[in-house]
Amino acid sequence: MTFFTIVTRGLMRRPVRTGLTLAGISIGIAAVVALVGMAWGYEKSIGKQLDVIGIDMIVSNMTGGIMPKTFDASVEDKIAQLPKIKETTSLLMQLISVEDAPMIMVSGRKWGGFTWHQLKVVEGRMIKDEHEPAVVLGRLAAEVLKKKVGDTVQLDSDELNVVGIVDGGSVVENGAIILSLAVMQKVTLNEGKVNFIDIRLQPGTDKDAVTETAAEIKKIFPEGRAVKASEVVGTSQGFRVARAMSWSTSILAITVGILGVMNTMLMTVFERTHEIGILLAVGWRRQRVMLMVLCESALLGLLGGILGVILGAAGLMIMETTPAIKGLLEPDLSPRLLIISVIIAVVVGLISGLYPAWRSSRLSPAVAIQS
Amino acid sequence: MAENVPSASTPTVYEARGLKKEFDGGKVAALRGVDLDVREGEFVAITGPSGCGKSTLLQLLGSLALPSEGTLNFRGRSIPDMPDPAHYRSHDIGFVFQAFHLLPTFTVLENVQIPMFEGGLTKAQRKDRAVELLESVGLGHRLTHFPSELSGGERQRVAIARGLANGPSVVLADEPTGNLDSANAEQILELLLKLHRDRKVTLVLVTHDLGIAGLATRTIRMKDGRVVSETSSSTPSLANHP
Ligand SMILES: Nc1ncnc2c1ncn2[C@@H]1O[C@H](COP(=O)(O)OP(=O)(O)OP(=O)(O)O)[C@@H](O)[C@H]1O
Ligand SMILES: [Mg+2]
Repeated sequence: MTFFTIVTRGLMRRPVRTGLTLAGISIGIAAVVALVGMAWGYEKSIGKQLDVIGIDMIVSNMTGGIMPKTFDASVEDKIAQLPKIKETTSLLMQLISVEDAPMIMVSGRKWGGFTWHQLKVVEGRMIKDEHEPAVVLGRLAAEVLKKKVGDTVQLDSDELNVVGIVDGGSVVENGAIILSLAVMQKVTLNEGKVNFIDIRLQPGTDKDAVTETAAEIKKIFPEGRAVKASEVVGTSQGFRVARAMSWSTSILAITVGILGVMNTMLMTVFERTHEIGILLAVGWRRQRVMLMVLCESALLGLLGGILGVILGAAGLMIMETTPAIKGLLEPDLSPRLLIISVIIAVVVGLISGLYPAWRSSRLSPAVAIQS
Repeated sequence: MAENVPSASTPTVYEARGLKKEFDGGKVAALRGVDLDVREGEFVAITGPSGCGKSTLLQLLGSLALPSEGTLNFRGRSIPDMPDPAHYRSHDIGFVFQAFHLLPTFTVLENVQIPMFEGGLTKAQRKDRAVELLESVGLGHRLTHFPSELSGGERQRVAIARGLANGPSVVLADEPTGNLDSANAEQILELLLKLHRDRKVTLVLVTHDLGIAGLATRTIRMKDGRVVSETSSSTPSLANHP
């Protein structure tokens, strides 16, 4: 028999209660994994999209809702004059409900811009010209909307033909409805307006030059903001909200977990006062009794964490296939997230065990043994 | 037999002076000033009516509770001031309770190993030693049983084996036969006497049974939290006992 035997025996005394506590922690941890996995996945997906298209900087008006406010398309021409800028293009993007899909990205792209280049037609054809009232669908968008080449999609009051299905090399691209900027402006009654300018810089532009360029853009377009592609995720309102929400919900879930484990450990300690009295009477040091209680609660946390990570990962995989999420993001199931979640669970266990452990070690052996 | 009959020159194991113990903020005075000496190798029996403070006194000797007043030394060291009372409880003494106090979720073999976690033995050494101890109390065949599967007498033998886990020189027993029928009581008593006789263990035993008390080197009678009389056995007990 080892010390660990004693610890596990303590948990096995009340299998139902231990099981319920494990369920409690694991659901909390599963929530953490799912929520944070979505938030991180969202960020990663966007990062990947920018990378695939080869965007170095993005200019937009960061105030506004989930999507930035529109501004005059002429801003692009002024920005294009700046020395370090190699290429620019503009877009009008909206995250809207289309037919049965609750949220889908509709991306109107300036005809001839570099954002068209990486799209590979997998079915049908590309849009013919700037004014053709047609869209191409990213592969996932086609799946979510259940559309084939030859169908139409309803955008606001207009019906547009689906002429092709494309692969854009990232989840975000594949989840979008793509059309020409001119058509998008007309359909959404935003003539002459865009809400993003994507920039490619001259090769070899260093960090200082990027910062300088951003400052110059600010002069041209004071309401706007130029952000390096690598920082888009950190600065956007939408991402910040998503991040804050996922963490605050996680903290709530963790708090519930702590209370659950603490309750279990306190009950265990109360219930076992007599046995703890025996341990003290036969000469166990107080620290050893504390260690026993702490190890029990940490073990609860560890087991709950492992279970929770499995549950959370399964949840994410299921969510990944739902229409609401498919195409918007690729949930992040990185080992980093899973390990962090298990560590959180163990820490939750340890924190919850502190008070019960301290209590149990303060008992007088004579009093405890009589209870 | 002379070595079994300690005299005034034998060093003391316990020395209590003016020992008091109060409960409930002074409402209950369980001990009201006890003076007591226990010498190396003695077998001291403590008797007295119910509620006179016998268990309380034994708990103080065993460092299971702290005195309210007075001094209490173990081989010259103050028990209440010990920096490491756990070591004293696990190594210097073995405590045997009337109610056995075994851990119900651990087997016999495991129960005996519990105090050994404070002893720096390896896992294998702990097990071997526990087997040896259980064999010495005649329970070599019940190692994997749980306490609930044993008779009272068997449980008390497990408790004695546990008390001897780290080879103490003193055994404190609080009515160890109080919950047992006479046949089992006899066995337990034999076991304790054998320890006293063969291993020279100092034995302090609380009992209601005057027959048992008669076997002791000294019998201390208590009443209302005080020692009222002390009788040294003229016929050394152990000589009479088989
Ligand atoms: N934890 C406690 N709180 C309050 N009073 C206590 C406590 N422990 C013992 N007492 C009281 O102290 C007195 C002495 O109790 P103790 O258990 O020492 O008696 P005893 O001589 O062992 O009796 P018995 O022969 O019935 O076992 C009793 O009046 C008892 O009620
Ligand atoms: Mg008593």
